[in-house]
Amino acid sequence: MSTRRRRRNPGVAYSDVTGTLRERTVDALRDPTLADNLRTAGDSWGAGREVMKRDFGFDEMRDRARDIRRSNIRNMPALLAELQSNVRASGGVVVRAADADEACRYITDLARARGARVVAKSKSMATEEIKLNEAMEHAGLEVVETDLGEWIIQLANEHPSHIIAPAVHLNRDQVAALFREEAGTDDVPTDREGLVAHARVRLREKFAQAEIGISGVNLGVASTGTVCIVENEGNARLVTSQPRIHVAVMGMERVVADWDEAAHILQVLPMAAISQDAANYVSLITGPRREGETDGPEEFHLVIIDGGRGALRGSEFEEVLSCIRCGACLYSCPMWQNVGGQAYGSPYSGPIGAIITPLLEGPSSPGSRDLPFMSTLCGACGDACPVGIPLPDLLVRARARSSSPAKRKAGLAFRVWSLLWRRGVTYRLTMIGWRLALRIRGRGGWVHRLPGPGSGWTKVRDMPSKWPPRR
Amino acid sequence: MSTPVEQMVQSLARRKATVELARPGDAGRAAAVWMADQGIVRAVLADDPVVDAIRLESALRAAGIDVLRWPVAMGRREVLGLEGPEDVCGVTVPTLAVAERGTLVLEASVGHGRGLDVTNRHHVSLLMADRVVETLGEALARTFADGRPVPSAVSLVSGPSRSSDIEKISTLGAHGALTEHVVIITP
Amino acid sequence: MRVLLMRTCLSDAIAPKVWKATRRALERAGVEVKVPRGQTCCGQPAWTAGHPDQARAVARHTIKVFAGSDEVVVPSGSCAGMVIHAYPELFAGQPDEEDALDLALRTIEFTQFLAKHDLDPRAKACGALTVHDSCHMLRVLDEHESPRAALAKVPGCEVREMAHADQCCGFGGVFALNFPELSGRLGEQKAQAAAATGAPEVVSCDLGCLMHIAGRAHRTGIPIRARHISEVLGS
Repeated sequence: MSTRRRRRNPGVAYSDVTGTLRERTVDALRDPTLADNLRTAGDSWGAGREVMKRDFGFDEMRDRARDIRRSNIRNMPALLAELQSNVRASGGVVVRAADADEACRYITDLARARGARVVAKSKSMATEEIKLNEAMEHAGLEVVETDLGEWIIQLANEHPSHIIAPAVHLNRDQVAALFREEAGTDDVPTDREGLVAHARVRLREKFAQAEIGISGVNLGVASTGTVCIVENEGNARLVTSQPRIHVAVMGMERVVADWDEAAHILQVLPMAAISQDAANYVSLITGPRREGETDGPEEFHLVIIDGGRGALRGSEFEEVLSCIRCGACLYSCPMWQNVGGQAYGSPYSGPIGAIITPLLEGPSSPGSRDLPFMSTLCGACGDACPVGIPLPDLLVRARARSSSPAKRKAGLAFRVWSLLWRRGVTYRLTMIGWRLALRIRGRGGWVHRLPGPGSGWTKVRDMPSKWPPRR
Repeated sequence: MSTPVEQMVQSLARRKATVELARPGDAGRAAAVWMADQGIVRAVLADDPVVDAIRLESALRAAGIDVLRWPVAMGRREVLGLEGPEDVCGVTVPTLAVAERGTLVLEASVGHGRGLDVTNRHHVSLLMADRVVETLGEALARTFADGRPVPSAVSLVSGPSRSSDIEKISTLGAHGALTEHVVIITP
Repeated sequence: MRVLLMRTCLSDAIAPKVWKATRRALERAGVEVKVPRGQTCCGQPAWTAGHPDQARAVARHTIKVFAGSDEVVVPSGSCAGMVIHAYPELFAGQPDEEDALDLALRTIEFTQFLAKHDLDPRAKACGALTVHDSCHMLRVLDEHESPRAALAKVPGCEVREMAHADQCCGFGGVFALNFPELSGRLGEQKAQAAAATGAPEVVSCDLGCLMHIAGRAHRTGIPIRARHISEVLGS
């Protein structure tokens, strides 16, 4: 095997995405199944959120959640040092990876050194971000996503459409078809319970075979060196208990100071994400199995990823580091509700994804620079966020920061606009010109086609040339 | 104003777990009866004083249920239920429980496998009534108190396994146990 | 009581009736209204498009035009939101930061002004209608009641609430031009929700939303008319 390593700069946005962002939204809008599935998901989330507020005091918990996370980010270096020290004291290994390359290399080297062939994975946005599956498959490993939704989209060879519910855009019939193909038989149930039972058996085979289990980390608790993994299905329990080696991949900002803080965030997270006061399973893992224990991994490796996060501390975007990846902003977003997560072309979709993808990639990255513009700035996301991230404001800042030929063109237009509109006289002249043009082009009180930048308007709407608008 | 145990009973119902209260003298038989009703043929018990105190092992044998005690000498496939009988029950002993959420706190130790509640199809938990606290904060503060050795794994378990991935509607039994039955042992 | 009236560039461009009706409503309620000459725009289009320097240049002019101590009333939740919420950020560290903050404190959306001073514009009667809450009103200004309180004083006015009333209409300023299809889809959903109330018209505090909803409704044949709330209150 060659020792010269190929330099990889995978970026965050998916590399197999085609077309422009706008084209992908148009494709998504043409899909009626997608629209129905997203609407069901969105309505259900909305109803659940009302219950959380009314019966479980969700709103009252948000201020404290925000304060905790802000404090975590302020103290991030010290907390990470404490976390690291305590993980090591419990017999675990800690690796600080500067970027995707370093993280993937560590994990694939480990797998090679241990002679691993099969890797069982539970859901981790961080591993999607660093494209770990790709790196492991490239290294000859069989990687199996064990989270039901992630397994489904792995079979479909698709990208997830939501942080928490990745297969939310597929319905039961679509899932049954994928299972039939995977199992190589038509003898697959078509009811919901049957499909789940089928998946249970197929995935248990993988838990039995895997030498390495890879999980994400919802929170790292510095005071005891504990990683917290929150889930509903139980696959992370099996990923972190059955294989001999457990690798936990954590974004560096996911650290809290102590159990007081962890308790609060662990309560807020399921309320925000799935509108439940508790997730089914929370695993609190500190290092490998202890002397005399007969189940649990013999090795525990914590890979802490920077990937551009550290640079955000102290910047005007620092607040995005508070994010606990609940996915609420996605569900609340009218854009996401209509086009789904895949149109964003990044593992992080929705409002948070539209901000952090270009931040982690660079403001002129073609894969992500348009993302902050795919928003009406309606503010529903800011309302939904359990840790008070001012998402709409950050979207505007992200727009100011972005750089592209289209933006430079618009910049020239706004230069002219500002020259004309900073004086009453020239403003008045443009208004006279505009109103004249409307009157000339108007038919029955409507203009059906505007030229230049206005064509975006009249592609789908008429422009009233008289007010109130005629019927 | 309900007691922690009363609150725990309500919360467990909300989580779709089943629960019964029993005195120490009856708890072993109660658990055995529940398991026999489910068609359970084998039980894997935590190696814990509570299990002995309620004489669960003999009650299970009397009900014709095969008994194994942790640690078990079994390959991974059998642990996961891919081989051997399907209707196997893991029996756990929580260190604490959280009344407001219906959460069981299970600690991994030499006598208590970390996967007991989740590798088997069924899960019975023997909860001492005086181990029920009201809030998650309290449970975590006690579990990770200064001076106490930090367990390798603590599992917070809140109701039977469920997945919302198919049409975003809760579906039981994706990976963990399909059932959860809690026997609260009252004095 | 005297106020300065901010006309808004959208009203100047599409519907001067709107700012005139606002003035009429205020005067009928006993308020003296001054409409400063030479006023232009709050700068929002450039701000949300990611060109803060251009936004600031135009906003600077607005700050000068509206200098003084009177309250500045504006028939737009969007423009009020811009001045109140964004000017502090836009002018942070600038030489005229104090003037910007001063204007931000004096600026108020039209129906909020009516509610604050408990004013009755003595509007003529109107019939059934539905109210579209713009996102700026709802989330930036945190306001749901003031348009309804104002309409409650209009004889015969029957407000029928639409389903998914807090969902964005899809206008979003430059978004309408950059992502027309998605914008149109949201506008259609809003127009349908409005029409489904059975009311013949939708009113709002924001002209941008109304242009978009009406424009999409006309293109797709959804039977709903649109008017700015000032036109009802200043009828």
